[in-house]
Amino acid sequence: MLQKTLSLIGLGMLLTLLQATLFNHIHLLGYAIPLPYVYLLIKFPSNTPRIVYLVTGFLLGLIVDIFSNTPGMTAASLCAIGLVTPWLFNAFAPKDRGEEILHPSTRSMGAKSFYLYAFFITLLHCIIFFCIETFTFFNLQVLLLKIMCSTALTFGLIFVFEHLHPRRSKASS
Amino acid sequence: MYHILEFLRKYYYILIFIVLEIISFWALFRFNNYQGSVWLTSANSTTAKINRLYYDIATYWHLGEVNRKLTSENLRLQQEAHALREALLDQKVEGTFLDSITRTSISGYQYIDAKVIVNSDGKKNNYIVIDKGANDGITRDMGVICGNGVVGIVCITGPRYSLVTPIINKHSNISCRIRGERHFGTLQWDGKDCRYVYLDEIPRYAKIKKGSIIETSGHSSVFPPGLYVGKVNSVNDSPDGQSFRLKVELGTDFLTTRDVNIVITPYKAEIDTLQLYANRAYTDEPS
Repeated sequence: MLQKTLSLIGLGMLLTLLQATLFNHIHLLGYAIPLPYVYLLIKFPSNTPRIVYLVTGFLLGLIVDIFSNTPGMTAASLCAIGLVTPWLFNAFAPKDRGEEILHPSTRSMGAKSFYLYAFFITLLHCIIFFCIETFTFFNLQVLLLKIMCSTALTFGLIFVFEHLHPRRSKASS
Repeated sequence: MYHILEFLRKYYYILIFIVLEIISFWALFRFNNYQGSVWLTSANSTTAKINRLYYDIATYWHLGEVNRKLTSENLRLQQEAHALREALLDQKVEGTFLDSITRTSISGYQYIDAKVIVNSDGKKNNYIVIDKGANDGITRDMGVICGNGVVGIVCITGPRYSLVTPIINKHSNISCRIRGERHFGTLQWDGKDCRYVYLDEIPRYAKIKKGSIIETSGHSSVFPPGLYVGKVNSVNDSPDGQSFRLKVELGTDFLTTRDVNIVITPYKAEIDTLQLYANRAYTDEPS
């Protein structure tokens, strides 16, 4: 349990670092911005209290905001994601798991369910984030393009992480 | 209380979510120039809209007072217009000094504001109850008017309320004349349509056309002369063919009248005493 918690904290730090040093500088075609830190909330186990989702989302968002000079933007969107993640997780998690604690991954949930879960969270996060960023529906086409491109890029990165992550955890255990 | 605590225990995270979002948005508007300015602009326009709404509501609440004032104002203006019209007529015909003195001394009717409490709409014998009575100085046979014209005559007074016989009552007969013509007759209601009454006994040589204005004659001490009653709707022959029978469209809508005024005629007691004396003196004579 402690090991899992520490590994999640490590993941959070790694994602923040990557975002600050690398991903913040990527603006593919001026539309696609990778926002893969949302991966941390996706990986929270099934017995996580809702308050942890909210506070982690908020704090992680705040730290990312400080590094990318967008105070409040990521914090607001990630906090909202923290609210909806448990509902989405219950919608996609296997129903017959009983009391067992589930750590969301392709192996525990099945590839299809996990990627759908990850995709919806990514999409929702991109929608909220870019709505707050543009703060107007004046240029709806550009907004939609930004949301779509960024969702695709972020989801691609999460796909890569998910394929790297199990091997890493296997090596460490 | 228990339910509230239970609810909070179950949904405390919503509360935390709201607090965190408020902090986030505060930071967003405080430290981001673009979002901050957008927020400020929309907040300003929202404040302006709310202020506007508040102003509208406040104005609406004052409408009753405005209406009452307008009614009084309207009556005052009618009086003034009548006085001026009479003065003009006198200038044309005979402008004696004595006549004008008498006229000034008679003018100066007083009005008491009242509200209609009960209104029997559209029956055969209509009545109106107003919220002023003997305690306010109302007595029997006082005239009741509103901004649109004559309403009726006080019939019975209680300490706080009074019963008014409106024009649209079969027992009502108010002496009226045609403006500018000075032919007069008695206004009576046929009990059918609340909007129309009939003016009988108008001589056939009178020059009357549709749209002529009917006003009070001032031959009784109830109403001052020259108050607007209605307009001539059509001119017919009376049943005996000796005179005209005018169909008059009333200026007052009895179904919607709320604010009325009661006319207090100065020297009414004097006039009434004289009339009483006259009645006694001439009827007691052995015939």
